[in-house]
Amino acid sequence: MACEGDDEMSALPDGSNSHDAVPRYHFDRHTADYRESFLDITHEMHRTCPIAWTDTYDGHWVAAGSAEVFELARCPHVSNDHDVNHERRGYKGISIPLLVDAENYRGGMLEMDDPEHRFYRTALNPYLSPAAVKRWEPFVDEIVRACIDDHIETGHIDFVDDVANVVPAVLTLAMLGVPLEKWTLYNEPAHALVYTPPDSPDAARVRELYMAMGVDLFTNLLEIREDPRPGIIDALARLRIDGESPPDIELIGMLNLLIGGGFDTTTALTAHALEWLSQHPEERTRLSRDRETLLNPATEEFLRFFTPAPGDARTVSEEVELGGTRLREGERLWLSWAMANRDPALFAEPDDVVLDRKGNRHFSFGLGVHRCIGSNVARTVFKSMLTAVLDRTPDYQCLAEGTVHYDSIGVIQGMRHLPATFSPRQRSGPGVAETVQRLQQVCDEQGLARPITEMKESARISD
Amino acid sequence: MRVEVDPSRCQGHTLCAMIAPDSFELDDVDGHARAVVGEVPGEHRDRVLEATQSCPEQAISVMAEQLAQARAAHGLRGGR
Repeated sequence: MACEGDDEMSALPDGSNSHDAVPRYHFDRHTADYRESFLDITHEMHRTCPIAWTDTYDGHWVAAGSAEVFELARCPHVSNDHDVNHERRGYKGISIPLLVDAENYRGGMLEMDDPEHRFYRTALNPYLSPAAVKRWEPFVDEIVRACIDDHIETGHIDFVDDVANVVPAVLTLAMLGVPLEKWTLYNEPAHALVYTPPDSPDAARVRELYMAMGVDLFTNLLEIREDPRPGIIDALARLRIDGESPPDIELIGMLNLLIGGGFDTTTALTAHALEWLSQHPEERTRLSRDRETLLNPATEEFLRFFTPAPGDARTVSEEVELGGTRLREGERLWLSWAMANRDPALFAEPDDVVLDRKGNRHFSFGLGVHRCIGSNVARTVFKSMLTAVLDRTPDYQCLAEGTVHYDSIGVIQGMRHLPATFSPRQRSGPGVAETVQRLQQVCDEQGLARPITEMKESARISD
Repeated sequence: MRVEVDPSRCQGHTLCAMIAPDSFELDDVDGHARAVVGEVPGEHRDRVLEATQSCPEQAISVMAEQLAQARAAHGLRGGR
């Protein structure tokens, strides 16, 4: 079958004809200078080779053009499978290169194909659909308020450490059904694992933190099996595939995927947007003033422009031809959401931030059946943090000194610190520690972590 | 003008309902979209067209009313 009947790409029978001239491009997104050279690389690939073979990391295809990424992300002959036990065709999942610790370890449903992927997705949808996430808005606004209140009287805040790290962490744990006070145990490893290179002197410590987080997740899974409490962990504990409970290692992989997806990406988006708005004060004023019409398109534009998760790997599972280039079974493939998001064929002025951009069909949540299942959470959390900052610290200035971008943006285009100053104000309520306790009570009493099929009402925060 | 969401292509990105909330609704459980009414009133036309262009999966199709009727008369659905 051709990819969705599209003429541009079709599966070929085995043993078909000779080698075509293969476009080549040296591509290594893990080098320290990749962040600086991203634009040049993107422009050159769009101009000369929207899909190309690179010899880096044992060789793989790189799809940079929007049309190529669109076709391949939705192609049934392209696989996400990570076959850790060599039971199928030995495919290596969604990371290039393979993460050191991930060799024998599958990253949840993102490293599964249908139908297996579909079982997990169906179990999780009622917790993460737009209607399900909307119920959490008062909860999100309340933890955002507390984060800012901890600093609002000082006139100084780090938007990463003090806000954008905290809110996604607390909300993700609440949705999973993990006690909220544990957020600090999860917070550091979830980010540090992404930005700490394997050869860093800090790598061993980060690994230990990550292991401690894994142990806590597993403990929660065991507890919830014995004595159920609502949340996504409960959904996974109850999941049956062909009548069988999946192995625990698959459930832990799934939970790690949700932590990885839920924590670092939204932090990255928020930090970059706040930094950009600090550098463009007129745009910040305009966004704040016209937020009723501008907040939605601006959010999509920040997603497009900053692309927190810059891409995903795949494996070609059946020979396909794409615009004259032949991809063979077993070959690895990098789908660059970040480069597709800058394609002038799809976006006018692709390297500018246009807050009211129309027709913004960006790639930042991926495409096809693996579309980011947390996209509604990401948008909700981002909008709550952004509007609170605009309302409560409207004159904030980010400080270049102390701002730290990730050294390597191969996995997440993130930031470690974003300090800012602003005119101090009076606080409006308790800080994070007390608020987390109150929110735990709210979760428990109202059963907030239940799926939308069991509960339709929004969280009620006011006492 | 008629509008349709192809359920086999929609993956629940939700942009259509964000752009044209009067014309698209999202499923409570999986967030996948459907057109509220097949025929788009004139005042919603521009937003529906923008939603169509914004769909990351290119799952939305619009067509002129006469064309839709002609296709239906020949037993055909949809169209892009």
